[in-house]
Amino acid sequence: MSRSRVLFHMVRADFLERVRRYSFVLTLGFSVYLGYAMYSGQINMQLGSYHGVANSAWLGSVVGLVSAVFLSLIGFYVVKNTIQRDRETRVGQILAATPMSRSFYTLSKVLSNLAVLSAMIMILSAAAIVIQLTHKGTGRINLFDLLSPILIFSLGALSVTAAFAVLFETIPGLRGGVGNIAYFFLWCFLLNLSVKPLLTGKSLSDLTSMRDYTGITTISGQMQAQLRQLDPEYKGGSGFYIGSSKRGTKTFVWTGVKWNPTIVLSRIFWLGVAVCLTLIAAGIFDRFDPAREILSLKRRKKQTVLPKPEELERLPLQTRETQLHASDLTPLAHSRSHVRFVALVLSELRLLLRGQQWWWYTVAAGLFAGCLFAPLDSARSGVILVAWLWPALLWSQLGTREARFSTQAIIFSAPHAFPRQLLSSWTAGVVLALLTGGGLGLRLMLARDTEGLFGWAVAAFFIPALAMALGVCTESRKPFEAVYTVWWYIGPLHQMRKLDFIGTKPASSTPVLYLAASIALLLVACFWRKARLSYA
Amino acid sequence: MKLVIDDVSKQYRGGHRALSNFSLTIKPGVLGLLGPNGAGKTTLMGILATITKANQGRVLWNGTEIAKNPDPLRSVLGYLPQDFGVYPNLNAVEFLEYLAAVKGLDKATAARRIPELLELVNLTDVRKRALGGYSGGMKQRVGIAQALLNDPQLLIVDEPTAGLDPEERVRFRNLLSDLSGERIVVLSTHIVSDIEATATDIALIANGTLVAHATPEALLLQVEGKVWEWVVSSADLNEIRQHHQISSTNRRSDGVHVRVLGDEPPQGAHPVTPNLEDAYLFCLSRHRDGAAA
Repeated sequence: MSRSRVLFHMVRADFLERVRRYSFVLTLGFSVYLGYAMYSGQINMQLGSYHGVANSAWLGSVVGLVSAVFLSLIGFYVVKNTIQRDRETRVGQILAATPMSRSFYTLSKVLSNLAVLSAMIMILSAAAIVIQLTHKGTGRINLFDLLSPILIFSLGALSVTAAFAVLFETIPGLRGGVGNIAYFFLWCFLLNLSVKPLLTGKSLSDLTSMRDYTGITTISGQMQAQLRQLDPEYKGGSGFYIGSSKRGTKTFVWTGVKWNPTIVLSRIFWLGVAVCLTLIAAGIFDRFDPAREILSLKRRKKQTVLPKPEELERLPLQTRETQLHASDLTPLAHSRSHVRFVALVLSELRLLLRGQQWWWYTVAAGLFAGCLFAPLDSARSGVILVAWLWPALLWSQLGTREARFSTQAIIFSAPHAFPRQLLSSWTAGVVLALLTGGGLGLRLMLARDTEGLFGWAVAAFFIPALAMALGVCTESRKPFEAVYTVWWYIGPLHQMRKLDFIGTKPASSTPVLYLAASIALLLVACFWRKARLSYA
Repeated sequence: MKLVIDDVSKQYRGGHRALSNFSLTIKPGVLGLLGPNGAGKTTLMGILATITKANQGRVLWNGTEIAKNPDPLRSVLGYLPQDFGVYPNLNAVEFLEYLAAVKGLDKATAARRIPELLELVNLTDVRKRALGGYSGGMKQRVGIAQALLNDPQLLIVDEPTAGLDPEERVRFRNLLSDLSGERIVVLSTHIVSDIEATATDIALIANGTLVAHATPEALLLQVEGKVWEWVVSSADLNEIRQHHQISSTNRRSDGVHVRVLGDEPPQGAHPVTPNLEDAYLFCLSRHRDGAAA
């Protein structure tokens, strides 16, 4: 069988396995929503007071940029599980025993990631056609104008996203939650690199075109140049507007991207970046070698003394003559099962914290002290942000642990396990928030700032409630890690009213809203779990 | 103490019917649930353990329908699923403490019971070590310990000897025998020797239906006079397979000793005492013939 045919089958099998999962339907649903958001004007692109007439060139450019900008972030979290799945299903061990090379494997995974992301782009492209066909569109459909920006810009950016996802999966430290959070900041960095010439108003040079990861500077730059010719009073500036129905009052006819060798070269450059990332991933990839897995496991859990495998195997079920027998066990009176909520909360807290090393507690203690001793304003708008980002990877366990470690059958066959276990798990998350952010709580209490204290307490309720709802509904840690990081960045860090769930400034604080949201999220978690457990 | 399964059917999304009109009454003792892969054993275990619901029929625990009121059963249930996990960062004591709290055991009872159970499954020496470093067999023992935490009146164990080596398997069988008495133990397996060693009752299940429910002695009686042993050459084996139902073959110096099931002996064969594996195969083949007819 030729290598290309082998590659085709590897990509095909991986792609089919993904698209037949429930999560893929959700992914497509998100793309449909993104398409609808563009259609309804919730996501729109403006250049000062201008927006483009909805012709093929404008719609193709906007969809291309929306795909490149938004899907390069969200798409990472969608596709970053392909090697993990092979590891969990143990298919990886079968593949590792074949002549398949590591670079071949990582390449097939990158292509499969790209195929999934392309499915999302196809839906957005279809949305663009629908927009133009309906009353919002203008003129005849020009397929080249419509599809060329989508294919050339978004596929270039998303190939890098696909390669990053595989690279992160091959690096043990970035495989889990740390990688999910780190990618958000990497994406911010790359986007900043991409849009910097636009923000500084510098003209496009070959170098700035080259580092335009998403194509936003290239397209917006050409649009701005066209507008300057049409309207000498146009002062520049462009951007995406999310959630706003306000559109530019003036319209202009965008004639489409003027393709030139620099644009093509920049796209080839980013494809080259994707290939390099794939090759680096191939170099790091452990080829499902359990010995390398055990090494990293040992490094992570230095504090727990693991027995040697050969020592364990030598321990039979019963050995000594004096061995206890089943009939020697203390019989129990089956009167009633006790409600041991506090014991359960403590056990859940232990589960959350277990596995953390000394330096985790040192940083947490430092942040607690920082909240306690920093000036109140700095503590409230600065230190607490870090103090409540630090345990994000612990909160992301909430609601997912039972599925992740296959303990559902044991736990949920216990009497009243639902909703007792869910609520105790959430309470443990709240306790963790109160402990890590406790310094600020004490300060607000001493300052008799009841409003601030209320906002702080609500945030401590809200964060675990968000984690629990996302965890129970998706049975994956990733959605919380992605959503929480982005929300933390946009809301509390930039003190955006209504999104600032911590209430870093009195002006941006909306605690009643978040109290209601916490209750709603807990109810969602309860209903979802109840639906999953037919006996609950 | 009685568990009644009354006309239970279970159909999964997609149309696969795992159980069809299954009825059985289980009383104290060890019930061996025996059947080929895909027979519906795990589905039945899941229904009895209140993990999944039947689409039709009902299951009664001491007269209480478990679909409507599962907690009376759950409070006296010990369940060892076929596939289960552990929290790798906890040690055996912490994991059992956690499950004791989930099961509603009070602190004093849990503190007394956990060391006893760890001693019972011989994990006392490694009780402080992270479960992530345990071998498959040791995790299985943790599973056995958690199933016994609440001194269950109904103990359901699904393929419990999977992952255990032959020596451990023998010890687990002894443990199960030791546990039976004034409690119901439902042991699901496709390994006939596990059942042979422990079961006081056997339920044979195939294609989601109950093929037979009897004591081991009664099952053996059904196949009495229908098992023959025959010494043949290796070259004839394939030919024999096509015309007779073979229970087992053993290669020895004088040829291949073939155990054959049938009403009439093949020429040259002599009758032998049937074992449970013969009875199992006989019942299954009769069931298949009946289904085909």
